[in-house]
Amino acid sequence: MPELRARLFAPARDPLWGAVTALVVSLLVSFVAIAATGRDAMAGFGDLLSGAFGGPGPLGETAIKAAVLTLTGLSVAVAFTVGLFNIGAEGQLVWGALAAAVIGRFDVPGAMLLALAGAALGGGSWGLLAGWLKVRRGVHEVISTILLNWVAFHVVHGWLVPGPLAAAGSGAEVSVAGTEAISRAAWLPRLLSGSRLDLGFPLALGVAAAVWFLLTRTRRGFEWRAAGAGRAAAFASGIPVGRRICEAMALSGGLAGLAGALLILGTEHKYPGVFRTGYGFDGIAVALVGGGSAAGTLVSAIVFGALRAGATRLQLIGIHPSFAELTQGLAVLLVAAPGMFRPLFARLRGRAAEGLVPAEPP
Amino acid sequence: MNLVLDFAPPLVFAALGGVLSERAGVVNIGLEGMMRFGAFAAAAGSILSGSPWIGLACGALAGAAAAGVHALLSLRFRADQVVSGIALNLVALGLVTYLLQSLFGSSGVSPPAPALPRDRFGHSALSYAALAVPVLFHLWLSRAPSGLRVRAVGEHPRTAATLGVRVLRLRAICVLCSGALAGVGGATLSVGILGQFDARMPAGQGFMALAAMVFGKWTPLGAAAAAFFFAAADAAQRQLSFSLHAADLRLDGLFLALPYALTLVVLALGLGRTRAPAANGVPYDPEGRD
Repeated sequence: MPELRARLFAPARDPLWGAVTALVVSLLVSFVAIAATGRDAMAGFGDLLSGAFGGPGPLGETAIKAAVLTLTGLSVAVAFTVGLFNIGAEGQLVWGALAAAVIGRFDVPGAMLLALAGAALGGGSWGLLAGWLKVRRGVHEVISTILLNWVAFHVVHGWLVPGPLAAAGSGAEVSVAGTEAISRAAWLPRLLSGSRLDLGFPLALGVAAAVWFLLTRTRRGFEWRAAGAGRAAAFASGIPVGRRICEAMALSGGLAGLAGALLILGTEHKYPGVFRTGYGFDGIAVALVGGGSAAGTLVSAIVFGALRAGATRLQLIGIHPSFAELTQGLAVLLVAAPGMFRPLFARLRGRAAEGLVPAEPP
Repeated sequence: MNLVLDFAPPLVFAALGGVLSERAGVVNIGLEGMMRFGAFAAAAGSILSGSPWIGLACGALAGAAAAGVHALLSLRFRADQVVSGIALNLVALGLVTYLLQSLFGSSGVSPPAPALPRDRFGHSALSYAALAVPVLFHLWLSRAPSGLRVRAVGEHPRTAATLGVRVLRLRAICVLCSGALAGVGGATLSVGILGQFDARMPAGQGFMALAAMVFGKWTPLGAAAAAFFFAAADAAQRQLSFSLHAADLRLDGLFLALPYALTLVVLALGLGRTRAPAANGVPYDPEGRD
């Protein structure tokens, strides 16, 4: 048995292999689960594939979802580099979406860019708050981001959207009506006829490339990674660790905010009355399966995006689209399992090497 | 007050589950998922067997089974405990919806499940249990030898191990019981309050329980008190929302955000020196050297 296990998991030490293993195994398990309920699993997977890639329409849906997942995944991945676990992408996304919906109402040229910038700022400030709480007040980011999520949900969904920002004249329907529609100038332009593919996907690709460059090719990115790898060592070599953590959390929140803007400017065109996306939480899965790197995050975002888009087709054979979430959860369970990603989690826990645990900087 | 006794029990049980797991040194972000499994299994068990008590037991078992996965990953394989908990939440979200669909052919709600009997004040036995269990839990954790052992493995597992405590086994037991408590919390939602399972359950109550645990400084009595306080804020919001809506004021969200914002403020100001158990979230390697 140990030998089998070693063979199974040895390639997984390489993050890319770990991701592929996790994805393939989780898809296999889901396949068996479908077959076990007596349904035609082959046909189901055929539907899944055609729902994700069969023609411009499905491809557009995949791209829309992949773009949002890329951004939330990058959000989580950026926080990983400084050794922080950002559970708060969902709340940051909500603020970004709200900022986009509010700014997008102005019918001025460049409204789209303004809305995107506002969304990044909105999400970024929520992320920065978590970073500040961590650095200055010593509040663990897992706790603070969970709490900040729920503050954001309740304040935005329970007060701002049905209250001060509600569309005028929606009367009794006020709780589901959402905000006023944004202006056409703020819409993300559609790129293909017969498909909802919009500027969001190219934008997400560009952002992924920029994040990759920032993290691996710039001094700032190096300092972030150093701060994540060993706080004490980074601090001792003159890196302002607290500052760097705050910066990374601001960027992390900004990326999640951008993801919210894509949803509003690309598909919703207003802040809807009911807005439960789950994309922020999915971003955690995307980043984990992607091994915390920009490229891995992009790849796993596309896979999960395709899975989400294709899963809607599974309803044809009576399988709920929650199937996509199930597969995603399984993939994360596998990623969490033995030895995979040991380097990432060593970094997360601030251990430069086994048995060497640097103290927190003063 | 009546509403509070209805709203509080799910939070109380789940928060106590959180306290148990984290005092033993295992972070439990998976409370939400364990509650979800518990709520669904309780409804399903109650419908299939016709007895809500069997349903309740199913809920506890399902919560414990989900916790078993968390224990296996985080203790046996030393996976990151936060990751393992998050994965559990994701799986719970997908798997329970999937099971709801395949078992009852609905993606919204289950058929009505036999609910627990209520006394003349409209409360089920679980409401009173939510008052008693925290006190018993407190006495056990602070007075009983086994409670001391649990605290020891959460604060300094190596020391506990040198005194003959089997750290991983004790932690596993605590995580399993934590899951059972969260499962009972979930069951309270389905067979205790609503009388059916709703696909949205537990709608963030697991995270709220986590906040209550932190707010209550990882103590059973504190966590339970925080859970009652959060439930009171929830109840007040529901009572007030009618009159506020009449006055065309929609402030519901502000009330609902209050417990979370308050917990943050308490943490940020470091009121009463909130501190997590020292070894919380640190995997224990029996053969390692600290």
